[in-house]
Amino acid sequence: MAWLAANLAFITAILAVLPQIVGDFWAFTLALFLLYAVACLGLGLSWGQAGLLSLGQGFFLGFSAYTSGLILIGFSTSVWLFPLLGLSVIAPGLIAYVLGCMIFHGRTQNTAFFAIITLALILLAAQIATSWESVTGGYNGLRNIPGLPGLAEFEDAYTLSAVALGLSMMFVAWIMQTPLGVLWRALSQDERRVAFLGFNHNQLKSVAFGLSGLFGGIAGTLYAPQNSLVTPDLFGFLLSTSFVVWVAIGGRNTLYGPVLGAIGIGLATNTLRESVSFWEVILAVIFIVAVLYFRKGLTGTAEPAVKRWFERNARARKPAPARHSTMTFDRISIENLNLSVGNVGILEDLNLNIGSPGIYCLIGPNGAGKTTIFNAMTGELEAQSGTVSMLGTRGIKMDARTQTIAGLGRKFQVPSVFDQLTVGENLAIALWSGRPSRCDLLRMSLLDWESPVLTELERRFPFLTDRRQMVGNLSHGQRQILDLAMVLCTEPRLILLDEPCAGLSLAETNEVIGTVRWAVDRFQATAMIIEHDMAMVRELADHVFVLHNGSMLFEGSVAEVQSNAAVQAVYTGGTK
Amino acid sequence: MDSVLIANGLNISFEIVTLALVAMGLAVTLGLLGVLNLAHGEFVMIGAYCAFFVQEQGLSYLWAFPLVVIVCIVIGWPVERSIIRALYSRPFDTILATWGLSLLLREIVEFFFGPGFNSVDQPVSGTVNIFGADYPLYQLLVMLIAVLLIGSLVAWYVKSSTGRRIQALVDNPNLAKSVGIPTIALARNTFIFGLCLAGIAGVLLAPIVAVHPGMGIDHVLKSFFVLVVGGLGNVVGLVVGSGVIGGAESIVAAILDRTAGYTFVLIVALLFLWKKPGGLVSR
Repeated sequence: MAWLAANLAFITAILAVLPQIVGDFWAFTLALFLLYAVACLGLGLSWGQAGLLSLGQGFFLGFSAYTSGLILIGFSTSVWLFPLLGLSVIAPGLIAYVLGCMIFHGRTQNTAFFAIITLALILLAAQIATSWESVTGGYNGLRNIPGLPGLAEFEDAYTLSAVALGLSMMFVAWIMQTPLGVLWRALSQDERRVAFLGFNHNQLKSVAFGLSGLFGGIAGTLYAPQNSLVTPDLFGFLLSTSFVVWVAIGGRNTLYGPVLGAIGIGLATNTLRESVSFWEVILAVIFIVAVLYFRKGLTGTAEPAVKRWFERNARARKPAPARHSTMTFDRISIENLNLSVGNVGILEDLNLNIGSPGIYCLIGPNGAGKTTIFNAMTGELEAQSGTVSMLGTRGIKMDARTQTIAGLGRKFQVPSVFDQLTVGENLAIALWSGRPSRCDLLRMSLLDWESPVLTELERRFPFLTDRRQMVGNLSHGQRQILDLAMVLCTEPRLILLDEPCAGLSLAETNEVIGTVRWAVDRFQATAMIIEHDMAMVRELADHVFVLHNGSMLFEGSVAEVQSNAAVQAVYTGGTK
Repeated sequence: MDSVLIANGLNISFEIVTLALVAMGLAVTLGLLGVLNLAHGEFVMIGAYCAFFVQEQGLSYLWAFPLVVIVCIVIGWPVERSIIRALYSRPFDTILATWGLSLLLREIVEFFFGPGFNSVDQPVSGTVNIFGADYPLYQLLVMLIAVLLIGSLVAWYVKSSTGRRIQALVDNPNLAKSVGIPTIALARNTFIFGLCLAGIAGVLLAPIVAVHPGMGIDHVLKSFFVLVVGGLGNVVGLVVGSGVIGGAESIVAAILDRTAGYTFVLIVALLFLWKKPGGLVSR
């Protein structure tokens, strides 16, 4: 908790000292930018952590500024005032969460669409705010909004904004460190992999967006009494764009970046707009340069040093709870599978049956359809006809997440690890697969989980014990192995490996072969391995499937395959 | 026939045709190059300001066309070189960078022309009587030009060798490069061409709309919705998308009000994003 205390002390000190430096008049202006900073903090959370760029963060601020204004005008003496204001804080969060659930439902690669939808949202809100005059006051907005009871002086407004910002920053500082924060950063890098580790990626994103809406709600609810005026300008794309610019220049991945951006650049703009006539042009250029060359912004560039300062000490590892898996052995049966993409037929009338646990290798020339079989099994590609029965169901009815929970572990051909996270965080995410409940994701102790499987993997591959190493610094071979280790940490019953040894040295290949054999024995699992390296196939395979042009050419033991004339013909270029 | 009905029909057709005209530039940059240019609307805005500028100088409206092409090349060249080319492999950053570009262009225009609303005189006045409905001649001309422009562009893309090269570039950039197509120059020219289309659309629309620095946002948003609904496949998608978005908006707006029309379009676009992300006419 040391870093949390340090953050708290730092924030309090700055906020207490600022009015002394800038004076009372400025403190009032500053109070406004403290609220903008709260909204930017929300943007930093959804964009910098979960990778969701919202071009319409002003929507949530504006929405609750209007509700808060209406509540203060209509109920200023009622006992229900504060409960209602509480609702006006929470409502944007709920709206954002529900909106997120709807937008993200069933789609993965949609960051561009998301940005556009948020943009459309504020334009729509601006339209409604100007045209629905009886409620919103139209173009002139809501005027003469009474202040909060008990707050008379503008120093009070400053203090309230400062407290709101301080508490918000505390919350963000905490949530960034939780397993939930780690998962957000993971899914902003590789969403598919997060799904294939058994997490509901769409819900994780919706939660991030919901929280960003909540921060907009806090800012907006305080905005109305503080300014006593709420206009449709809050829904203008100019304000929302400013938020994006501030957060980008301040640094979207850090706690202090959005705050520094909002207060620093926001105040600078406020001051210089009049005197330096092309200030906004300069700011736009700085923003573009930041996007192109300094993606981490001001604070992000300084972050590694700060992080080292607050770095948590290595703590005692805690055993992870057992993974619930009801399955023992899984029978796999693929019947008459036909799959084509566009007008290119990939699989034609493919049949494949696996009746007992063990290691099954899939070989075949390039383009035979090996990876496509995996994609059809995990629902990445939809077959035109035929059935796949596995994991206790007939036909693919489960998405990647449900399959993973049911016992699937898939390693992609290209190592899919989270480069911007540490080795320890990568392995921890794999350990969380299917184990914790939703609320557990807020418990720090999950970061220290270990399991017997992980211990064994660390013994076999010592580089895994360097838990603070950034994965981006690892070699290709190490990333391949880390990817495999993550799959095995989920203790799968059905393991799909796509060229696990591509790019590995001979020594590493041998260690991987031993590890796969060990894992299959330990989990009583079925492994299907796509491999070109015949040495590895000879070493591992209990049974070999040979694919050619999307159909099963031959199956049998390694020796049978090697002596088969049809297989030889395919591989040596003869005709069948 | 009922003259009110005809007038309404003409208005709706005008909405659809101009929407297709504005969306065409975005269809080129997004559909062909995969660059979601959020500054697309600002080039429409720049086109409108070109028309405003030449009229302010006492020149003929027609001078705006060469002017906008020059302006788009002068802006587009360095923009492609410094921003777009660096980000072909980082689509997410392209959105951000072009959003920054849109901000920059707005600020620059505001710096020179001020934030206020301006109007551009219609180069031809008068109305034409069509089956009993009086309709402004200029609007008719714009429709005609837009249809001709879209038609000739499609014909050129399908028939010409440059069109083939662009198709090759879209299909397989590496292969296109290895058979000797200058892909970098081709992509640059295509991008600038898309900008010019947006600018020309702006010149054509300027006499009918209020010209101000923030006018581009609506255009980029609706153009994007057109491509969402129609798909990025071909010109049929462009026309279908414009028909759905422009038609839906103007019909709902005529029955209820503008806000309802806008809301309806947003909902339609959202539904397409959820249920039919490839659009109606797929590639």
